[in-house]
Amino acid sequence: MPQVKIIARNFMDMVAALPAMKLDQLYQNAFICEAILRSLPPLAKKYVIQMLYIEEAVTTKSIEEWVLPDGLSKHKVAIDRLLQLRIFSEAFDRSSGTSYRLNPTFQSNLQKHITCGGVLPREPMPSSITARLPSLEDLAVFAFALEQWECFLLQLINSTQAEKMTNISPSMMRIFQRGLLTQRDKEPPRLTESGFQFLLMDTNAQLWYIIREYISNSEERDVDSADLISFLLELSFHATGEAYNMNTLTEVQRNTLKDLADLGLVKLQQGRKESWFIPTKLTTNLSVSLTDSSSRKEGFVVVETNFRIYAYSTSKLHCEILRLFSRIEYQLPNLIVGAITKESLYNAFDNGITADQIISFLQQNAHPRVAERVPSVPENVTDQVFDRLDCGNLILTGLR
Amino acid sequence: MASAPSKLYADDVSLLVVLLDANPFFWSASSLPFSKFISHVISFLNSVLLLNQLNQIVVIATGHNCCDYVYDSSSPASRSAGTGKLSALSVDLLEKLEEFVCRDEKLLKKEPEGSIASSLLSGSLSMALCYIQRVFRSGPRHPHPRILCLHGSQDGPEQYVAIMNAIFSAQRSMVPIDSCFIGAQNSAFLQQASYITGGVYLKPQLLEGTFQYLSTVFGTDLHSRGFLQLPKSVGVDFRASCFCHKKTIDMGYICSVCLSIFCKHHKKCSTCGSVFGQPHSEAASEPNKKRKAGDT
Repeated sequence: MPQVKIIARNFMDMVAALPAMKLDQLYQNAFICEAILRSLPPLAKKYVIQMLYIEEAVTTKSIEEWVLPDGLSKHKVAIDRLLQLRIFSEAFDRSSGTSYRLNPTFQSNLQKHITCGGVLPREPMPSSITARLPSLEDLAVFAFALEQWECFLLQLINSTQAEKMTNISPSMMRIFQRGLLTQRDKEPPRLTESGFQFLLMDTNAQLWYIIREYISNSEERDVDSADLISFLLELSFHATGEAYNMNTLTEVQRNTLKDLADLGLVKLQQGRKESWFIPTKLTTNLSVSLTDSSSRKEGFVVVETNFRIYAYSTSKLHCEILRLFSRIEYQLPNLIVGAITKESLYNAFDNGITADQIISFLQQNAHPRVAERVPSVPENVTDQVFDRLDCGNLILTGLR
Repeated sequence: MASAPSKLYADDVSLLVVLLDANPFFWSASSLPFSKFISHVISFLNSVLLLNQLNQIVVIATGHNCCDYVYDSSSPASRSAGTGKLSALSVDLLEKLEEFVCRDEKLLKKEPEGSIASSLLSGSLSMALCYIQRVFRSGPRHPHPRILCLHGSQDGPEQYVAIMNAIFSAQRSMVPIDSCFIGAQNSAFLQQASYITGGVYLKPQLLEGTFQYLSTVFGTDLHSRGFLQLPKSVGVDFRASCFCHKKTIDMGYICSVCLSIFCKHHKKCSTCGSVFGQPHSEAASEPNKKRKAGDT
């Protein structure tokens, strides 16, 4: 039995928590098997590939021999994960002890995938019908995704900066805002501690949070969560920027797509006779190593030793995020200038943001010019932020 | 220069450069048909690409007279969709491989009698290292590179110097060279390569199970290797070839300035031009025995 209990903090844990029958149903789709394989820890991936063509069960003792003694803890984590996701099934035999075998559906799907390659259930539409418009170019699609996502986030935090509203229904918005905003009577909604932490997460993590809320809520809307999960994972294997026909989708999938378009994951377009959807970068990011939460976009923040912050960005969202812990001084057409001050830090700590989050946000979004410098955020700045946190706490507890 | 650690990528993203032996002289005499071998290799490459969306694969074919890139998973041209029976990788790879073999054949010259029909390993190693250097210079985020030699042809002693230079350059860039040797005798060059760069040398016993050997030993990324039991080399053949005749020798004369190896006494070093003194007597040169030859 799995010995480690993993708190359901990300999408894969949600999948693992599905009942056995639903999980087996999911594994009938080869792309789901691929996505789940990619989310496993590295050692677990190796075990799966090594067992891929082995029909009989392999004893636990044999598998343990594959690892060096100091890898045993990683080995246990890997085996637990595989058992939890029902990829490995356990069998007990009095003579040979416990042994593991790969899930047969999973196994045959992966074997086929390796030898024949994966074939999506739909082909991209020929460009004669979509008449390759400039709006279909990679950059335009990427810009669309970014714009929609930012717009959604600004609306989520109820910012006054949001210029246009997305088409998401107010009830849907409230579900997303659950946990992120609190509302007291007669006061405008305020961000909670988790709300602030949410803003400082990188895009992939934010995306997963929203998708997870969307899926947990699906049962209330009479949509089977397993179907939704398999559709989303399947979507992530489509090619960015290619148009796919809408008539290859079921009714439920079409409704889901409309919601996803509001989030910036797909772009919907109408032709003369047919309508199609174009997946954006955000969709293909859905299946990128779900154990790896590092951002892949270019950084934009330069932090200097005099505590000034220069952010080369035009995004209102970035401005809002920086406002959380620094004092914004100027906003130029391509640059936001701010400074980390005592007051701004105390403000941030009051709102529940930790020093760790501030520093990791600055490090992960460091401008390429300073990203290669070690450390990318100057040491005196990191020291001061941590010191302020401690001092702040001391003040709160009355000790000095 | 040491390779910069991949900063923002997860630990298990790898760049695998495969050097595929396409020497017609070797394959015409091999017990395992090339077509079966290629199907094992393609399944292995597909499994590597399956493990991580960011994994990259580059295949360089090593021919008798030339070597060339036959597959690059990160190039935009390689995104052609597969048919129902073959994966996209197979379609691209097999097409380019066919073109390569035709080109290699055209360059065939009349070889002198008795020369070993070796493949151009030094050429493909150099190409692989150049590609990897380009990846290092592409920015702070890059996958962990490693080289895998799928080789069967015999060593050509005339390539000794070039191969050793390539091996030392790989050692300095911290790129491990793994070898899966499918020929009859062990290859001294590849054993040395894996020993010096910290890779794995394997000579599979059963060639019908090549896929299983490849996926078990060579499939894991560099980070996880630290936790796995991998085949250790029993003994390494450290024999060198002399610079003047390209013969394999155990004992010879070494220039003390540039360390070039000669089998006979020369007046002057051909590499650096230093003038040699008189040869010592045989008795005095006994203690100067160089590295012993290991068991093959």
